[in-house]
Order: sequence, then structure tokens, then C-alpha cells
Amino acid sequence: MISDIQVMIAGYAGDGVLFTGNVLGKILKRQGWEVVTYRDFPSNIRGEAMNYTIRASLNKIYSRGDYIDVLMAFNCDAILRHIKSVGENGVILCEGSVTESVRLSPKKGRTFHKFPMRELAKKNFRSEIFKNTILLGGLCYILDLDMKIIREVLSEVFLKRKGKEIVEKNIQALRLGCDEAEKIIKEEERHSLEERPDKDRLFLSGDEAIALGALAAGCRFFAAYPICPATEIWQWLLKHIHKFNGLVVQTEDEIAAINMALGAAYSGVRAMTSTSGPGASLMMEGFSLAGMAEIPIVVAHVQRVGPSTGLPTRPEQSDLNQWVFGAHGDFPRIVLSPGTIEECFYFMADAFNLAEKYQCPVILLTEQNYGQNFYTVEKFDLSRVSIDRGMLLSQDELLKIEDYKRYALTENGISPRVVPSMANGIHMVEGNEHDEKGYRDEDEEIRIKMMNKRMTKLNIAAKDVIPPKLWGKEESDIGIIGFGSTICPIREAMDQLEEKGISTKYLQVRTLWPFSAAEVEEFMSSCNTVFVVENNYSGQLSRLIQGQGVECSRVHKINKYSGHTFRPVEIAESMLGVLEQ
Amino acid sequence: MKENSYHLHDPTWCRGCGIYGIFAALKKAAASLQIPPERMVIVTGIGCHGRLNNYFNAYGFHGLHGRVLPVAAGVKLANSSLAVLAVSGDGDAYSIGVGHFIHANRRNVNMICIVVDNRVYGLTQGQTSPTSQKGYVSVSSPFGSKETPLDGPRLAIVSGGTFVARGFSGIPEHLTALIIEGMTHNGFSLIEVLSPCVTHNKINTYKWFKEHIVNLDDDTNFSAKNKKKALEVLSDQSKIPIGLLYHEERPSFDDLSLPSDTPIALTKLDVDEKKLDAIMKDFM
Ligand SMILES: Cc1ncc(C[n+]2csc(CCOP(=O)(O)OP(=O)(O)O)c2C)c(N)n1
Ligand code: SF4
Ligand SMILES: [Mg+2]
Repeated sequence: MISDIQVMIAGYAGDGVLFTGNVLGKILKRQGWEVVTYRDFPSNIRGEAMNYTIRASLNKIYSRGDYIDVLMAFNCDAILRHIKSVGENGVILCEGSVTESVRLSPKKGRTFHKFPMRELAKKNFRSEIFKNTILLGGLCYILDLDMKIIREVLSEVFLKRKGKEIVEKNIQALRLGCDEAEKIIKEEERHSLEERPDKDRLFLSGDEAIALGALAAGCRFFAAYPICPATEIWQWLLKHIHKFNGLVVQTEDEIAAINMALGAAYSGVRAMTSTSGPGASLMMEGFSLAGMAEIPIVVAHVQRVGPSTGLPTRPEQSDLNQWVFGAHGDFPRIVLSPGTIEECFYFMADAFNLAEKYQCPVILLTEQNYGQNFYTVEKFDLSRVSIDRGMLLSQDELLKIEDYKRYALTENGISPRVVPSMANGIHMVEGNEHDEKGYRDEDEEIRIKMMNKRMTKLNIAAKDVIPPKLWGKEESDIGIIGFGSTICPIREAMDQLEEKGISTKYLQVRTLWPFSAAEVEEFMSSCNTVFVVENNYSGQLSRLIQGQGVECSRVHKINKYSGHTFRPVEIAESMLGVLEQ
Repeated sequence: MKENSYHLHDPTWCRGCGIYGIFAALKKAAASLQIPPERMVIVTGIGCHGRLNNYFNAYGFHGLHGRVLPVAAGVKLANSSLAVLAVSGDGDAYSIGVGHFIHANRRNVNMICIVVDNRVYGLTQGQTSPTSQKGYVSVSSPFGSKETPLDGPRLAIVSGGTFVARGFSGIPEHLTALIIEGMTHNGFSLIEVLSPCVTHNKINTYKWFKEHIVNLDDDTNFSAKNKKKALEVLSDQSKIPIGLLYHEERPSFDDLSLPSDTPIALTKLDVDEKKLDAIMKDFM
């Protein structure tokens, strides 16, 4: 029996590809399998090519695989686009009849079938809408899925919104698709995995994990402006935050979003905003204010392809520089980079705790392929989430202080914080340079003291942030360094190399600022060859490493900036190319 | 609470600056409403007006040029029990922050916004502002301003503002009354205050303003409930009406969107495992 399958649904935007993929993902998760999705869609609504890859496995998987086992194509064009990625024993089902060009394309071991979803839907239900469920029915046969599970998922999807009748019709359509596939698919063309119990697992996107993490971490105010691929964070929160007496506000732009969040954070509420490249550029001035005025605020940034409007729905890692070096002036900032969906969740609590402990802005930097793709994970452990509000004083504590100073000079740079409405705590929160009470002051000596105070906090935080994580064989002398979601293809590439007898290790940088220079240096010195793998053009991480004065002569950069994530084999082959020299 | 309970420091604006009148009117209004200083937050923009909360005994937030209104809305929505006051300038509110100004009017968060209109950029040494009159000569328009001035109250009304007023820092009692009324209005209250900049603006002086203003209180035909009337009075370019221009009762953004009467900031913060667990089921 096989242990891994990969299905691609491909068509044009408007064919229902996203919907079908989402439902299929959920079904495969309920079968007890590990699931990873890869949604590849342009930033428009209708008419352009798009596809949805769903990989399921009995083993832990991290990324989309290299080859497709089943391609469900809504048109011939989709076959031509993806035939290269279909594996040797792949099955291709196509809505229309197969054209000459497809017939002539190389197809060693691959088989084609006409699967007339639209036609069947029109004939049997007088509506094209059912084509997607018919398609699911076809997959149900090929993948030998559990009918009970599919029924369950379909009724969850349709019952509340559309009612019982629609559920029943969809189940009929499902049967129809299944029967049709049985007629045309040979037994040896079926790809089935062993069903397993699905216990205590979640199936969610990085955006949803961030939103859930924010809620668990006590985020009660969220201000944001719509932008792909980060909007899902607050759209999900909107459904739940009121149950916790919290609020989401859609603002007029990102400038308002960060400033409104700053106002709320200053009022004593855990507040955040979310955005992507262009929005982050607009937030830079507010980011700088947060640093100067020492306001704890969290920004979740889901990276897309830049510069400018770039490729709005596709992944890249080119906004590291923006948060690590961006905005005017020197001020403390913390930039976290989750490498798994679990970390998207758990790092939110870290982000809020660090923000309040060090009274500075904290950025959670992730990428579109996490933000908008779905993964199976163990149910989150809420006992691992705790809330640490740092030096936030209670009213009683404040009343005991004789002469309260918001920006009191202390050894570690952290000053006791109070919020408006507290008696005995009146002060200014100031974006201009200020004295200990927050009142504007341009005295040279005060300026130096205040700069040192703020930057001291960062030195202390450097010992308290999330350290890098080591994966793979510690004793290996071939090292890989990266951050964020590239861990997915990297870990798969490491497995591929291991099969070839080449052991490797991976250092996942989890805090981009303050940078874990010592750990990175130590890791590099234990390697003969080091690869820095990044989804960007210039190698922003490798430049960051270089900027720390780390010896970098043995570093080989592997970069991809096509608007897509790496396929594992691309990384493995690039590494082999260097190693075999 | 007496007026001087709100007086923290003596201001250092230029002698004769209009903002002194606004400072005095604000202290009077706060005293008359008996707002405890710690329950009051004054958010200011960048400009001469931005210094106001340095001198006023209340919680203060001095942020970025043009971003007063989103900050103030965040403060208020996070803790609805606070009295929140935004102080902005003609450059701050009508130029760099004009997008927020429009949306603050339509959003209608329960707070008050004072725009100090000196028709010039005071702090940056006298450049032409969006309210400077056409032909206004300054360091930034040596051949006279080529642009038509912007009328803040008019923009507020057409943007959906629910309380739109204009005062003059030269008539402090009238201004105090407007501020008190604005503070008791449920929703976003705009009070634009004509405020001479004695250092940089030699055109719009106290004398000039006195000659051009008309007090709507003296017009028995005028009603602030009538939007059409308000826009009509504002369209007469030869006069500058002061007083309450437009007033409408409409549920505030706070009324419509805050999940409960308990201010968010005063809700106990903990990890509610039961509630979160139930939500996690959505992903199973
Ligand atoms: C983003 C940004 N651009 C420019 C400035 C410089 N600046 C400071 S105050 C000001 C104009 C202030 O004019 P106004 O709002 O009318 O305030 P006034 O001084 O007249 O009270 C400018 C342009 C700034 N602080 N920030
Ligand atoms: S420059 Fe003008 S606005 Fe500023 S304090 Fe002086 S008089 Fe007032
Ligand atoms: Mg001005």
C-alpha cells in the first residue's frame, strides 16, 4: 500500500476550485491522514487559471509534494499546464474530451479519462453547481474514501447555510460521481491510503492559527484594513472576539489601523493589527511611534510577493528587511518568525507577552503559503498559553507610588506602566523625545539617557526571545539555515538527501530581531558547507547574518522568487549540485 | 473640581496666540462637567496645537502628524468610560490627516475633536495651509496660494458628522459653551476653532476674524437640525458663521459595535480554556 497521495484540482477562477479543495482537505483530514494544501490562485475573481493541490499522507508531511497522483482538470488547458508535474502512474481526469495536443503530450504511464462533471450536473440536476460535488464523488472512488465521512462533511458545509434539501442533493451528486468513476477507472488506477482514527487534531490555515492564537493570548482589540493574504485573520476573529468582550474595527487605511491599535494598547487593551507588504509600508511611521512611546503592540504580517503590489496572492519572504531595519530612528523592536502552523498559534502568546514585558512593538512575520493554506496539526494545548503583562501596575500599586513616572529610568530600561483612568498616574505618552514623566524635553543629557534606556530593553529582550531550533542530524557537517515556512520544503529535501545517504541539519531562525547571532555563528562553525535557503531575490536572511559579523565564506545561497514556494526536489538538487563539486 | 485643577503648567505659545483662548475654554468646560482629570485623555497632533496636553492636567498622548483621530478612537473604544478629546490643527486634520477626518465623521465614535484653525502651519514657520485663503502669500506660496481653501465643517457635514460647530478663540464664553455641548453629545463632535496665529498669519488676525464672523445664535431663522440650512449658511463665502452648525442624534459607533457596557480595558484578562476549546471544534 502507498503512504502518500497528492491530488490537484485545476481550472479557471470561478470553477469552484477553492471550494472543492477546501472540502476535500477536510474530508482527507477526517480520514485520519496528515494533510497539507497548496492553493495557487491569481488575484482576480473569474477567468484566470488556478489550482489547488492537496497532499495526504500516513506520515508527517510538511509541504506539497513533488508529483501529482490525481489531476482533476476542468479543462484541457489545465492538463497542459500541469502534465509535467503528474507522476508516472498518475491519473488525469478531464471535464471535456481530451484534445489532440494533450493526446500527443508525453504521458509515460499516465492515463487520461473523460469525466464530464458539468454535463452530468446539468443532465441530472439541471444546474452546473453540482459539478464540484460530482468531482468529489469521482475522487471518493479513486481514493477509496469513506462515504460516511464525506456525508458528514457535506452536511456540515451545507446544512446550516442551505438546508436539508441541498445536503441530500449533494449526496446524490456525490454518488453519481462515484458511480461514474467506477465505470471508467481501472482498479490499478486507484490510489488509496489506510483509514485511521482522527483524534484531537485540527485542520486550519496559518491565518486562522494566528487569529486563534491572538484570541487565546488575550487580544481584545484588532484594527485592520483588508489586504491579501492577511485579511482572513481578522475576518475569522470577527466571528468570535465579541464573546470575549473584544472588538475588530475595519479602518480607512493601514495608517489608521496601526494608530488605532496604538490608542487601544495605550488604554490597556491587548491590541494588534495585521497586514502584508504594501500595508506594512504605510505602517512604518506608527511602528516608529510605538518604539518611541513604548507602546506594546503586535503586528501580524503575512508576506506576499513584492515590490509594490507585486503578486498579491503568492508567497515570498522579502519583507524581513522592512521590519528589522524599517522606519525612521533607532528603537527596540522584536520580530518573530513562526516555522510551523503550531508556532503561528503559540508565538502569538509570546508576541503579546514580549510586547508588554518590553513595552515595544512585536512583529509576527509569516508568509502567504502559511496564511492561506491548510494543515493538520495536533489540537493546541491551551495550558501552554499564559499571559504576562510585564510591568503593568494595578491601581493599588500605583497609589503607593509617590511621584509616578511613566518613563522612569531603570536598570533594565523597563518602566512601570499605567493606563488612563488610574488615579495618581497622570502622564504624557510622547512621540517627541521626553523626560521621565513623558513631557517633551530636548535636553542633550536626557536624550542620551532615554535612547540608552529604550535600547537597553532590547539587549535584555535578546536573552528572552525565542531561540533558533535545530532539526536533523546534529553531527552532520552540512547545514541549512532559513526562517518561516521554507522549513516545509527544506525538511522534505533533507529526507530526500538522507535517502541518498547524505545527512544534513537545519537551523530554523525563529527570532529575526534581536538576531540570534551567537547561535547562528555556533551552528555555522560546526558545518563545512552552509546553505541559506530563502524565498526572495537578495537573500535578506543571509545579509542579516553577514551584518552580524559572522564569517560567511562557506555560505551558498539558494533563492527562489518566482512567486511560488520551493518544491523539495529543487532544494535537494541545488544542494547536491554544490556538494558534488 | 476647579478650573485650575486642570492647569498643569503655564503654556509657552507666543504671546497673544489664539490657542490660549482654547486652553482656557477647555479648562472651564472640564470644570463645568466635573470630569476627574484621570478620566480624561487628550490626544494631540503635531503642530503648535499639539503642545496643549503638555500644559493640561489629564492623561495625554502626543503622537504623529495627522493621526490624532484614529489614536483617539482606539483609546475611546478600548475604554468607553473615558472622556476622550482630540486636538488637531488645520494642517493636521485637513491636510495630512484629512482621510481620517472624513472617516471619523462617518464612523461617529463618541469623542470630541477640536481643530485649531489658524489658517497656517504654525510650528513649521508659517507655510500655507489648506484653510489659507486663495492668494495667501507665505514662505511656501510666495506668489499667492493657487488653491481654494477647504471648509472643515462643511466637509464634516457631508461626511456624515453628527455634531458640527465652529467657535472663535476670541470669544471664550461662546467657545466654552460649544465645547460643553460637544462633550455631552453622544457621537463624534467636531468643533473647529478660529484661532489667530499672531506670529505667522498677518491676514487672519483677531480684528479680521471679528469683522468676518457671524454668530448663528443671532439668527432666529437658523436651526442646527437642518442639514440643508447648515450647508447653505456655509456656502456664503463672505461670512464665517460660528456656533452650532449641525446636530443630529444617531447611535454612536460605540453603541453599535461595543459588545457590552463593560469597557474592554476593564475586562479581566485570562485564557478562557472552555470558550476557546469550544471554538477550536470548528477546525476539527
Ligand atoms: C509626517 C510628517 N510630515 C511633516 C511633519 C512636519 N510638520 C510638523 S507640524 C506641521 C504642520 C502643522 O500645521 P497645523 O496642523 O496647522 O498645526 P499648527 O502648528 O498650525 O497648530 C508639519 C508639516 C511631520 N511632523 N510629520
Ligand atoms: S506660531 Fe502661531 S500658532 Fe504657533 S504658538 Fe505662535 S502664534 Fe500660536
Ligand atoms: Mg495650523
